[in-house]
Amino acid sequence: MRVGVEVGGTFTDLVAIDGGTVRVAKVPSVPRRPDEGAFQALQAGKLDLGAIKDLVHGSTVGTNAVLERKGARVAFLTTAGFRDLLFLQRHDRRNIYDLAYRKPTPVVRRRDCYEVPERMLADGTAERPFDAAAFERDVIPRLKAAGYEAVSVCLLNAYANPAHEEAVRDLVRRHLPGASITISSDVTREFREYERASTTTLAAYLQPVIAGYLARFEDTLGRHGFKGRFSVMQSNGGRLPAEGMRRNAITSLFSGPAAGVMGAARQAGLSGYANLITFDMGGTSTDVCLVENGRPSLAAETDIDGLPVRLPVLDIVTVGAGGGSIIWCDEGGMLRVGPESAGADPGPACYGRGGRRPTITDAHVARGTIRPDALLGGNLRIDAAAAASALAPIAEAFGLSPEDMADSALRVAEANIVRAIQLVTTERARDPRDFVLVPFGGAGPLHAAKVAADLGVGTIVVPPNAGVISAYGLIASDFVHYDTMTRRIALDDGAPAAVAEVFRAMRDGARARFEALGLARSACYTFALQMRFVGQAFELPVEVDAERAERLTVAELAELFGKVHESIFFHGAGTGRPIEIVAYRLGIVAPQTDVPALTEGGGDAGRTGDFALYDNRERQTGRLMARGALAHGVALAGPALLEDPTATVYVPRGWTARHDSHDNLVMTRG
Amino acid sequence: MAMTRNLDPADYAVISQALQAIGREMGAKLVRSAYSTVVREARDASAALTDRHGHVIAQAELIPMQLGSIGATIQPCLERFPVETLEPGDFLITNDPYHGGQHLQDVFIFTPIFVDGRVVGFSASIAHHLDLGGGNPGLNASSRDVYQEGIIIPPSKYSERRDWNGGGLERLIAANVRVPGQTIGDFYAQFAANHIGAARGAQLCARYGTDTVEATMAELQDYAERRVRAAIAALPDGTYVGEDALDDRWGDGGTLTVRATITVKGDTLAVDFKGTAGQVACHVNAPFASTVSATLSCLKAVLTGPDVPFNEGAKRPITVTAPYGSILNPRPPAPVRARMNSAYRAYGAVMRALGQAAPDRVVAQGYDTTWAAALSYLTPDGYKVHLDILGGGLGAGSRSDGCDAVDGPLSNCSNTPIEVLDMDFDAYRATAYELVADSGGAGVHRGGAGYRRAYAVVTDGVNFATYADRFQRAPQGLAGGRPGASALCRVRRDGQVIDAAINTGMILAKGDTVEFITGGGGGHGDGRARPRGQLAEDIADGLVSEAAARRDYGLALGAD
Amino acid sequence: MRNLDPVDVAVVGQSLTAAAREMGAKLVRSAYSTVVREARDASAAIVDARGNTVAQAELIPIQLGSIGETLRPCLARFPAETLEDGDILVNNDPYQGGQHLQDVFIFSPIFVEGRVIAFAASVAHHLDLGGGAAGLNNSASDLYQEGIVIPPSRFNLPRDWNGGPFERFLAANVRVPAQTIGDFNAQLAANRVGAARVAELARRHGAATVTAVMDAMLDYAERRVRAAIAALPDGRYEGEDWLDDDGVGEEPVRVHVAITKAGETLDIDYAGTAPQVARNINAPFASTVSATLSCLKLVLTGPDVPFNEGAKRPITIRAPLGSLLNPRHPAPVRARMEPCYRAFGALMQALGKAAPERVMAAGYDTTTAIALSRLGPAGWQVHLDIHGGGWGARADGDGEDGIAGPLGNCANTPAEVVDAEYGYFRIAEYGLRPGSAGAGCHRGGTGLRRVFQMTEDNVGFALYADRFKLAPRGLAGGVDGWPARCFVERDGTTIPFRSKAAMTLRRGDRLVLETAGGAGHGPATARSNEAIFHDVEEGLVGDG
Repeated sequence: MRVGVEVGGTFTDLVAIDGGTVRVAKVPSVPRRPDEGAFQALQAGKLDLGAIKDLVHGSTVGTNAVLERKGARVAFLTTAGFRDLLFLQRHDRRNIYDLAYRKPTPVVRRRDCYEVPERMLADGTAERPFDAAAFERDVIPRLKAAGYEAVSVCLLNAYANPAHEEAVRDLVRRHLPGASITISSDVTREFREYERASTTTLAAYLQPVIAGYLARFEDTLGRHGFKGRFSVMQSNGGRLPAEGMRRNAITSLFSGPAAGVMGAARQAGLSGYANLITFDMGGTSTDVCLVENGRPSLAAETDIDGLPVRLPVLDIVTVGAGGGSIIWCDEGGMLRVGPESAGADPGPACYGRGGRRPTITDAHVARGTIRPDALLGGNLRIDAAAAASALAPIAEAFGLSPEDMADSALRVAEANIVRAIQLVTTERARDPRDFVLVPFGGAGPLHAAKVAADLGVGTIVVPPNAGVISAYGLIASDFVHYDTMTRRIALDDGAPAAVAEVFRAMRDGARARFEALGLARSACYTFALQMRFVGQAFELPVEVDAERAERLTVAELAELFGKVHESIFFHGAGTGRPIEIVAYRLGIVAPQTDVPALTEGGGDAGRTGDFALYDNRERQTGRLMARGALAHGVALAGPALLEDPTATVYVPRGWTARHDSHDNLVMTRG
Repeated sequence: MAMTRNLDPADYAVISQALQAIGREMGAKLVRSAYSTVVREARDASAALTDRHGHVIAQAELIPMQLGSIGATIQPCLERFPVETLEPGDFLITNDPYHGGQHLQDVFIFTPIFVDGRVVGFSASIAHHLDLGGGNPGLNASSRDVYQEGIIIPPSKYSERRDWNGGGLERLIAANVRVPGQTIGDFYAQFAANHIGAARGAQLCARYGTDTVEATMAELQDYAERRVRAAIAALPDGTYVGEDALDDRWGDGGTLTVRATITVKGDTLAVDFKGTAGQVACHVNAPFASTVSATLSCLKAVLTGPDVPFNEGAKRPITVTAPYGSILNPRPPAPVRARMNSAYRAYGAVMRALGQAAPDRVVAQGYDTTWAAALSYLTPDGYKVHLDILGGGLGAGSRSDGCDAVDGPLSNCSNTPIEVLDMDFDAYRATAYELVADSGGAGVHRGGAGYRRAYAVVTDGVNFATYADRFQRAPQGLAGGRPGASALCRVRRDGQVIDAAINTGMILAKGDTVEFITGGGGGHGDGRARPRGQLAEDIADGLVSEAAARRDYGLALGAD
Repeated sequence: MRNLDPVDVAVVGQSLTAAAREMGAKLVRSAYSTVVREARDASAAIVDARGNTVAQAELIPIQLGSIGETLRPCLARFPAETLEDGDILVNNDPYQGGQHLQDVFIFSPIFVEGRVIAFAASVAHHLDLGGGAAGLNNSASDLYQEGIVIPPSRFNLPRDWNGGPFERFLAANVRVPAQTIGDFNAQLAANRVGAARVAELARRHGAATVTAVMDAMLDYAERRVRAAIAALPDGRYEGEDWLDDDGVGEEPVRVHVAITKAGETLDIDYAGTAPQVARNINAPFASTVSATLSCLKLVLTGPDVPFNEGAKRPITIRAPLGSLLNPRHPAPVRARMEPCYRAFGALMQALGKAAPERVMAAGYDTTTAIALSRLGPAGWQVHLDIHGGGWGARADGDGEDGIAGPLGNCANTPAEVVDAEYGYFRIAEYGLRPGSAGAGCHRGGTGLRRVFQMTEDNVGFALYADRFKLAPRGLAGGVDGWPARCFVERDGTTIPFRSKAAMTLRRGDRLVLETAGGAGHGPATARSNEAIFHDVEEGLVGDG
């Protein structure tokens, strides 16, 4: 039996697949002790832990530890003269007209920052060699005295030569055997000291937390007879065995959204769809991601709570548009939706938990696309009257009927989602019309058709059990690890040899890492070059076929880069300007074979009937049925609603839905 | 507040959000495809969308100073080249401080957005160019007229196909700047941003209809106007006067006062700088467009929330005047390279005047100075020029401490990472970059800390030019808060310490070190009333010394 | 050689030369700035389609000697066959065949039946092209501080001039736009005249004939020069001369030349010349070439030999890259005349060893540029004065008194013009400088004395000159001339200047310039009594 347990902010989802049978469970999360929530999910699924041979876990533990500043006590070590790196940051402001502007708060305090007597240069030579004696004399005692749980080391230009960082690491390890030590050259070998220091320090900050959490959880599992393989999801869309994750805790940040993308990609892939825009709409926000040839695209940088993280993560764009997003009118008379959310508590007005302000969910209720008797996860009751009264005041303010108000609010929310999708398509020079839309999460399938129409997308693929696809994504994910490194070379005749050399070194390093985890057999690789015109500061990733990484030519690299630059910046192709390769990203992948499919399972045919809704400024009557009751191949014309315990699919007029042999619900226009 | 136009609320919300998104994308791509450290790292650049009248509709929020004056800059272009005479492929360009520009280094480029053969708006981009020729690489501290500051591009119309891409204008500019590779590259980045803006704008019109989009543009301005009028109306009618001053060294000894007289009447507000010092011989004069931009930035920050878009409509209820021949409205050809610092004093004077009308809204003075430092040298393959833009501590407010070590309110430049400097320049090396203890003024809310940045020169013949301010006059506190530390620039040469002036140039030799110690922000409220817990944190973090804690915060002896 | 009717050659040849002269006259007469219309620091020429100067208005040798060098970079980028009606080519880039930035070269293609058969070329020294100081920036440490650089460019008059972007760009970047744009228009007018005349000739005689005559004129000059060279004894001759200093330090700066004469050819090599310097007395290579040719023409051929590209063919000229006479970009070059004069002097010395009777003793041989500028309420006013001095004596006669140097040919600016144009200073004195000439069998020419009286405060003064320290050297036993000097008299005291200086003058200051006299030729004892008495009576012999 394979099991995926995904701990979310509100719910903990579980998908268990045993041969043909699929079991899903949804239980409220236990924010303070996520592992309990996870364990409860296992119990709710009534699973025999002894029978689980593959358990994959995703959680928000890392994210929450940062947001709530519940991480380890960290000491930050950097080059002499620069102890304030984490506080100076980049010296700019995110809101330029805010008189009371505050910078993002680092996870270490200034008193916990120390200087290391050394100075490395950009070419990897030491201007000032590391003075170990002085370091042991001046710094070590203070570190001991303070008794840190973790130490973060980021020395200037360590990306070019990590020797000093490694020397520091060894010394600290000798003197503080208890502390976990993280050096920047291990975490990310990209230049720009603040961003690298921030990433390294977050890694150090999370290390003990994640390690402790996993140990606790494994222990609980063990006591209940679990003997299978336990692995954990990463933000790059791959998983790692728990023991590997203990050394890589930071890669578990944002693992939740990543799992959903992987599940959606895998499930849509079964039906032959390889180019997707995934669109995960939950209670408070929407995550969108681009998948090409079955592979989600990666972003080199992201941040959490304003603190930069320079690690390859799935290129997921998040907007504050979810079922709980508040509908409001600002003091200038503009209609707004979100980013403020009613969250899980009190939740939308229609949850009857005391929410008074209108939300997107209330709008759906008001126009009929969420049924009062819908089985929302956690079996909530819907209070239609509460929804209507919450919408009344704002409808009045705009002089609209409650239904029209709901309709307008939903359009605004959908436009927010459309913009998020444009960020990962149009702005990355992709045409959305070349992709199919894959909605999931509780609210995704409700909005998919409108969003698709706005983007000109003609096909929508709704995976089975769309509300818990993240948990399935855990099971479906491969083992993945990425290394990055910076080594600047001009794109000239010497380049191909240099690239080949870098590739071999990175590949061998990655393979060794996986061998240690018992994963190396069947491993394959991805390789991307970070390139730019000489003089530019920001590189563009140029993906190359790892098979050919050792046989590339200058001409093809120049052409590849020129194309990418032209597509994004509207100029650059074919210009004679000199080009350089700055950094490299190597991915090692141990693919999962025999991944079981997710299925919908039967539905209660008794719910089938008609329902009234309001859309496009008119009253309509649509078909309502349990999703599981729609037989394979049978075409269902909109307007229609398909419900299952995890999500509701809305098929507007002009769209037709049909289940294919993989239980994917394929919606097409006309 | 109802809409003045008959627009579907959803259309309106959707299109206005889309316009903002376009502005943001333009800004991001401008910075990411740029070549010079000042644009790609410091991000001294901006982008915006305007309507067909050149009124800003949406902007990438990068540099307030540049954004506030886009309208003033495009107008002289449109006067000479009316919108209906423009053709696809044309672009308008200017950097002329005496035709609505800022200083020469800020080059404004406007690309008309055509839909069905008609101009519906412009995409605009601005970048601070590292070197535009002139008397010294990067910046010329000794200019006595604008001609010594670089090449002047008057409001002009060119054809991108004919005059750029190897054409006459590109070659003329390349021939007159010291780092043509970077400068031309940055121009390409500006064009990239404009093309993106034009393409997205056209797509938007195709999707929603030009009429709806233009109606939304108009409505957005009315919207901002309504918000600003409402904010002004909330102030008590009356006349309020505020003053600030530059360091005396900028002039010939006398006090260089900047005086703002604000008159609030109903929902309109007038700012007059009568009583401000006359223009000076050196480059600290602020062209009028800079003065207006600084004034509006201050009003916007004090009066409205961050969600109010800053567009032409926001300016309608406000008038700004300054005497011709004054330091805030100089006669040509007065030099203006360091105009930011006079603009900051205008900002400070306006802030103080507003303080009388809305005491709880304003903040104490911050370092509020643009400190520019150019380090350059000539190599066999041509010039290398680096420009640092340094900020300091922000002033504390009635609700919060001032932000530590950040760029000033009129600007928003990032620092250049040390690793980028190490990669690109081999004549000098950063040796320190750290906060300065006790530099933030004491108060219930502490002023932001200034910082120290130091370079060691490792080869002879490094050309160093710099301008700053507040070496003499410290940023003042508010409501009993203490002043922040003033700034200091030191050059160490074989044992000697040379205190550099606020505006100077010199040739550095191997072994010299240059130290920039920027000012802190003023405090707000009496330091003795600062919560002891916060004080203890500052002490533990080394931002406040025990001595200062006793002196300025009344910390009892032995207490902690 | 082509079978041309000798009458055609004569008629067309004369007409071409006449056309060039007319261009020069029109240029000067329609100019606005005193430096062009009074000092006549401008030139004009007819150039063939390949960029060879065919005929020229003999105004400023240094500008004329290298017009081909200046046009060819333009043609390399904008080939003649791609040019259209209304196009002009413009170049002032010292590192692409130009002189100093102030000398802007404009070339107008001459179309006959849609084909470019020649160019009308004009060059003018523009009063102010922006840069670090009005008129003249002595402290410039690179080219960018000296003014606007116009790289070899193609513009279209209807589109880019007459209110077009190029005109507006220029106007925005110069301190006296009215005069600068006016002088550009004068250049364009001159070019139009030249173009019309040549087109006319082509109509009357046929384009083929005109171009053939152009070729013939080049060949003719070449033949004459080859003959003159052949007359010299084969061999290698060296010469050197020195500048006072580089404008910063005190050390003299050396120019060295080695001439190798073999049959009909000359090789001129400036190896051994000092490296380029930090201030503006570097000579771009085109200037070096021009100075060299001017000197050779002066010494080798009679005035009747047309000075054109053909004359250059038998001569090769080289200077080490990075030297004073061939600096690396972006070294400043504003005062390039001074090293050019020293190249001239070194050549004279070397040629003297081959043809003693033909050379002259050292004259002042220096361009003395004085800029007096002031920013008034109505904007900038800029005055630029170029001064000569005494020429060196020759084996067959005295040096000329108070006259422009042999490489330049600038007239003085009449005191009346100064009074009429400028309110902030006056010419208080202008005369010869008695005693400054070096004695000899033939004495050198007498230097000049000019005194400027400031009538306002805040007058910017900038000077570059030379031979303040190192006097013009006598030849064959002749006595040296007096060195030049410049100082300001301010309430009783005297403030002396070095040869490259700048200062802000105030009302009442008297700025005194005294230029050097030329050196003598032959022992003074051999001078005729009449000549001596004459000089005494004329008051040209000073009392020391």
